[in-house]
Amino acid sequence: MTNIMKSMITALAIFGLALPAAAQEQPISLVGDVMLEKVETNETGESKTTLVEPGVIVPGDRLIFGTDYANSGSEAVENFVVTNPLPKPVRLASDADPELTVSVDGGKNWGTLGALTVTSEAGEARAAAHADVTHVRWTLAVVKPGEKGRVEYPAIIR
Amino acid sequence: MKTQTHLSLSLAATPLFLLMAMPAHAAGVSAGSLIENTATATYDDGSGPPKTVDSNTVVVAVDELLDVTVTSLDTGPIATQPGEEVLTFEITNTGNGPEAYTLTTNPAVAGNDFDTTVDNIAVDTNGNGTYDPGVDTILTGPATTPVLAEDENITVFVITTVPADVADTDESDVELTAEAVTGTGPAGTTFTGDGVNGVDAITGLTEADGSAIGSLIAGVTTVDLVKAASVADPFGGTSAVPGSVVTFTLTATVTGSGSIADLVIDDAIPTDTSYVPGTLTLDGGALTDASGDDAGEASAADISVDVGTVASGSSHAVTFDVTID
Repeated sequence: MTNIMKSMITALAIFGLALPAAAQEQPISLVGDVMLEKVETNETGESKTTLVEPGVIVPGDRLIFGTDYANSGSEAVENFVVTNPLPKPVRLASDADPELTVSVDGGKNWGTLGALTVTSEAGEARAAAHADVTHVRWTLAVVKPGEKGRVEYPAIIR
Repeated sequence: MKTQTHLSLSLAATPLFLLMAMPAHAAGVSAGSLIENTATATYDDGSGPPKTVDSNTVVVAVDELLDVTVTSLDTGPIATQPGEEVLTFEITNTGNGPEAYTLTTNPAVAGNDFDTTVDNIAVDTNGNGTYDPGVDTILTGPATTPVLAEDENITVFVITTVPADVADTDESDVELTAEAVTGTGPAGTTFTGDGVNGVDAITGLTEADGSAIGSLIAGVTTVDLVKAASVADPFGGTSAVPGSVVTFTLTATVTGSGSIADLVIDDAIPTDTSYVPGTLTLDGGALTDASGDDAGEASAADISVDVGTVASGSSHAVTFDVTID
């Protein structure tokens, strides 16, 4: 723990950010998890989807990344934004919620995927695709004391 | 699943991670790659600037997919003859990690008209696509390829001997099989901890076992030479007496597949006869007796006609006259 704290402090110093009051209890907690979506087809051809712990995972597998949030404080918080950079080895699954707010440029610009474009090095713009997504984001105006919830996105291993 | 708690460490890690190249591979993300997911929340709590909190970082490692394809690089059945023949194959690691493959051959494929003997399997060491004895490395039993990186391919040669008693147009298939050294099995067969950097290895749709067939077709060409003689005596008859003119006809007939090159028809002038100058012909056309000006030459001792390349199914006739001494 001490080493991690040191690393954190060093990292923060490098990036010139203000050191937050680490000792202070944060009312908001975030807990991430990942599950592997497994589709099993039975003898009659019906397929059943189950979520399992990701034991063996290979390119093409579908993962569900989830984050549980909770406000354990006594005050409501406002402008609550959860930002999740997509790990490089995965792409956003094509059946992700089309209303999801995403970025395709590392978090500079945001919108639904359908509203975003990608500009090639040659300067030609094209509609953004799921594989272009670099970040996903969820926004809540208020999270009341004791309120908790979960956000998640589906991804395919590239 | 491995989970790690990194707290704000991800703040430092993220910019570095963006700089890392993530090459696109047909087989997907490289085995052993870590998938690390961290969410960050920002919010206002009504006092001071917006606050930030990170989730734990979820880390999972991509496992090693074992896959392979084998392709024949020969454009079709190789026209062959008794003796050594080389078949060419390409082996591609279509998995996502480094893997070597064990090679086996089957020269006795069902339906073969004849079976070859496999002498060696060699790697195209100098990468020129052609088997170079003494240069290209012979793989010794069990024949195993070098470790191939993901998406890497190599060319291998299967060196066979075609039996001497093969008949024209007989066909033979030779099968080359490549099996992942880590293991093979129906898609999804798992080898715990046997992947790169200790990740699990799992067979893909190819079952980590690929094979391809190279084909041979025997093109055995034979030449039949028939010699005939007709005699004309000085009295209008056909008796062989001194002064009779004997016309020899040498007919070469090529049968089988393909063609033969450099067919030369030679004959000695029989004893007690004399060549009649200027009587040498090829397929009815006159040839000079001199050497070098056309296909034929003749002397008091012998005649010789260079017919050149002769396609199967054709025949050529050479004639010359002698007088009986």
